[in-house]
Amino acid sequence: MNKMEERERADLNINGLGSASGGDFRHVNIEGVGRVDGDLSCESFRLNGMGTVKGTIHTAGLFDMNGKLTGYGEIEASKVLMNGHASLHGRLRGEVVELIGIVKVHGDCEAERFIGDGGFTIGGLLNAGTVDIQLYGRTQIGEIGGDRISVRKSERKDWSRLLAWVVPIFQTQLRASAIEGDAVELEMTTAGIVRGNRVVIGPGCKIGRVEYRDELIVHPNAEIGEQARQ
Amino acid sequence: MDERELISKKDLLEATGISYGQLYRWKRKQLIPEDWFIRKSTFTGQETFFPKTLILQRIDRILNMKDDLSLDELAGKLSPLLYDVELRKDELIKRNIVSKVVLDRYAAKDAPDAIYPFEKTLFFFIVDKMLQGGGMSLEEGVKLLETLREHFAKCENGNGELLLIRKMGVSSFILTTGAGGIFFENGVKVVERLSLSDCVEELKMKIG
Repeated sequence: MNKMEERERADLNINGLGSASGGDFRHVNIEGVGRVDGDLSCESFRLNGMGTVKGTIHTAGLFDMNGKLTGYGEIEASKVLMNGHASLHGRLRGEVVELIGIVKVHGDCEAERFIGDGGFTIGGLLNAGTVDIQLYGRTQIGEIGGDRISVRKSERKDWSRLLAWVVPIFQTQLRASAIEGDAVELEMTTAGIVRGNRVVIGPGCKIGRVEYRDELIVHPNAEIGEQARQ
Repeated sequence: MDERELISKKDLLEATGISYGQLYRWKRKQLIPEDWFIRKSTFTGQETFFPKTLILQRIDRILNMKDDLSLDELAGKLSPLLYDVELRKDELIKRNIVSKVVLDRYAAKDAPDAIYPFEKTLFFFIVDKMLQGGGMSLEEGVKLLETLREHFAKCENGNGELLLIRKMGVSSFILTTGAGGIFFENGVKVVERLSLSDCVEELKMKIG
């Protein structure tokens, strides 16, 4: 790469209460309440507490957030861990993206491996090699596309107390307009159209139309409007 | 973009034999540009369409190259984003990437061992292409180079186009970002129309 780039970059540390204008850092660490007013590029990003970032965040390594984050740009990292409550206006990109809790992404989300646990919203397309979603509470995704897509009802019981306090749960449901993948296994999902090679429609699903190539398995507790073998 | 024939995602998969997973993976790897995914409302709801000739060519290329290249290497070859290959001036002529006429005319002051970044090579390549097309004069090439230097960066992604128009013998160059249509007054003749990303790709294939 470029040798000019290899100058020493400083760390950005916010402890307690503080704000910074964006820039190029080595490690970014926010403990407490922090605000960043511009774009941020760094090798790693850690937030414990409450953070607001007004720009985009590009992280070469790990993006790790515990607590509450409001982001106004896109986030890109090799690994994204979000635990707690996050709202992101741009897109979210990573090799691995793991969302736990209540996360709202207004744009698209792209990952080689996506793990979602809780109740989250993705406004655009969730495009990932493998999608593993454990539902707890209402989850809404514009469209899902990938190799292997699995949506299951969460096994975690300790969630119920916390989530019932934060969001009114009507039912554990994933809503999406379209879900397309090579292998698709769904539970508790309401979708307009599901397409895949091998499709398993499990309990609690309401699907408008299913198109499959090799195999379709439907649980007796699922509703399907129409199905067609391609 | 608008006047091109479209193909639906379903028909595309059927025609090419690729799977949903592959298509989405290639999209993630940016082997297929974001704005080739065109959303349209149909009677079954939202459907995704693609510019037919572009996508079929692209998939054909991906499938043919896949064996000896990783997806990431492939992305470097295909994505419309520029990459960092630098070439020497004399190499451009020797490898027949840009014709001698163009370099003699527009880069006479550079020494034979001058190193050009990819972007500069691309500009000469585009000028060369326009000259070969027969619609542009050598004088107009000067104007084209200036236009590219000034505005290319804003149009390089996606469906940017280069147009050469002429009316009553007076010519103008237009660079577009490819979003939205362009309409001309009466008497304007579109002499040349090139897709910038196609040019980039063609050059990359030539460089190899």
